[in-house]
Amino acid sequence: MNLISIFLSAMLIDNIVLMRFLALCPFIGMSVDPGKSIGMGLAVTFVTVMATVVTYPLYIFVLQPLNLTFLQILVFILVIASLVQLVEFYLKKKVPSLYASMGIFLPLITTNCAILAVTFDNISKGFNLIEAVVYALGVAMGLLVSLLLLAGIRARIKAAPLPKFMQGTPILFVATSLLAVAFMGFSGLIK
Amino acid sequence: MSTILITIGFSLALAFILGITLGYFKEKFNVEKDPKVEAVENSLPGVNCGACGYPGCPGYAEAVAKGEAPVNKCAPGGKAVADALAALMGVTASAVDVVAVLACQGTKDKAGVKGDYVGVETCRAAKLSAGGTKLCAWGCMGFGDCVTVCQFDAIKIGEDGLPHVDYAKCTGCGLCIKECPNQLLHAVPRDRVGSMVICSNRAVVKASVMKNCKVGCIKCGMCVKACPEQCITMVNGIPVTDYEKCTSCGLCVEKCPTKCYHMLENITGAKRKAVVEA
Repeated sequence: MNLISIFLSAMLIDNIVLMRFLALCPFIGMSVDPGKSIGMGLAVTFVTVMATVVTYPLYIFVLQPLNLTFLQILVFILVIASLVQLVEFYLKKKVPSLYASMGIFLPLITTNCAILAVTFDNISKGFNLIEAVVYALGVAMGLLVSLLLLAGIRARIKAAPLPKFMQGTPILFVATSLLAVAFMGFSGLIK
Repeated sequence: MSTILITIGFSLALAFILGITLGYFKEKFNVEKDPKVEAVENSLPGVNCGACGYPGCPGYAEAVAKGEAPVNKCAPGGKAVADALAALMGVTASAVDVVAVLACQGTKDKAGVKGDYVGVETCRAAKLSAGGTKLCAWGCMGFGDCVTVCQFDAIKIGEDGLPHVDYAKCTGCGLCIKECPNQLLHAVPRDRVGSMVICSNRAVVKASVMKNCKVGCIKCGMCVKACPEQCITMVNGIPVTDYEKCTSCGLCVEKCPTKCYHMLENITGAKRKAVVEA
């Protein structure tokens, strides 16, 4: 598999949110407006790529030789949590407005299943380091794209007259499922 | 055995490295926090519920410290937190302690019903399907949507078919006020004194009100004429009291032919503050 097809399949065909239904919490929570979506998308991108760069060598060169592969969940979560903390420090210093608007969702990236899924995929799919990084980038871009799409849809939903039982999160899940159906169209993109 | 030792050693080493790295970056990206923000944040409950409309308690604390947000937005904290924040910020808290008052006294024996209602037993459903169960379109249906929504167990449907608010338990959260499809519950300041019309019928035809309910406001205007302070005005078919002027003389209550005027003192148990003569 060449790098472009890894990237595209991670971003569109196996879109982390819309095809695998992971990371729905930030997807619903942070798609309030496009600005927040991009901020969240970039934060996740950074954490995903960094987590890949750290966990992949850690697994191959430390966990495997030491026969500690059973520790991978624990170790990976530890690494991801530290990286999220790092992003939090950085945003607090450099972009306080984004830090404030992300609120609780920033520390919640720690337990974002999309990132953990990527680090596991890197190993189970037998990628080398470069492929793993490209894959991580693809997944993160997929999350960013779907966040932006939903943010756009939400702008329209805000103006729509909705029955009471549909207001808020229910209509977002309906929109999400329709988006997922649309994304199924990508499934024949790469053979 | 060696596996356990390796595991322990490896975990310790990893935790050590990550800890050192994070400590280093924390120093590098250190932000001087405004002590005022910190003080405000410490007075907040810290539940991050978002009821104030800001992203969590830290977001609200920052807005308060900057003077952008009012100090009375914290719903879980209530008056205590509003007072604490007001003291910190040097402003007076405008948090008004309110309670919900039902503006309808169409009990089972006093207000006529359209017929037997067979359907989903909620006020909202009855309102949607049949336009309410009472002959009076504004009448309380008494299915207790307000009871269901109340988080404080403060409302009960009584024997008479109307909800009764326990003012000792009511926190003025406003959930029932939003829920009532007939908008019969009103937020009234707990310490408000004076007269209030316990009826919401806005039909202008006197005869229809009388036929539908024995205790409906018939828009006769006796209260307006009776008030010595001229503090009662008709607004959309319902007399409204101006509490700035009302002296709780009780003349409107006496004059009302259908007994729909009541003193708030008798409903919520509010006490008129003693007037200190200068």
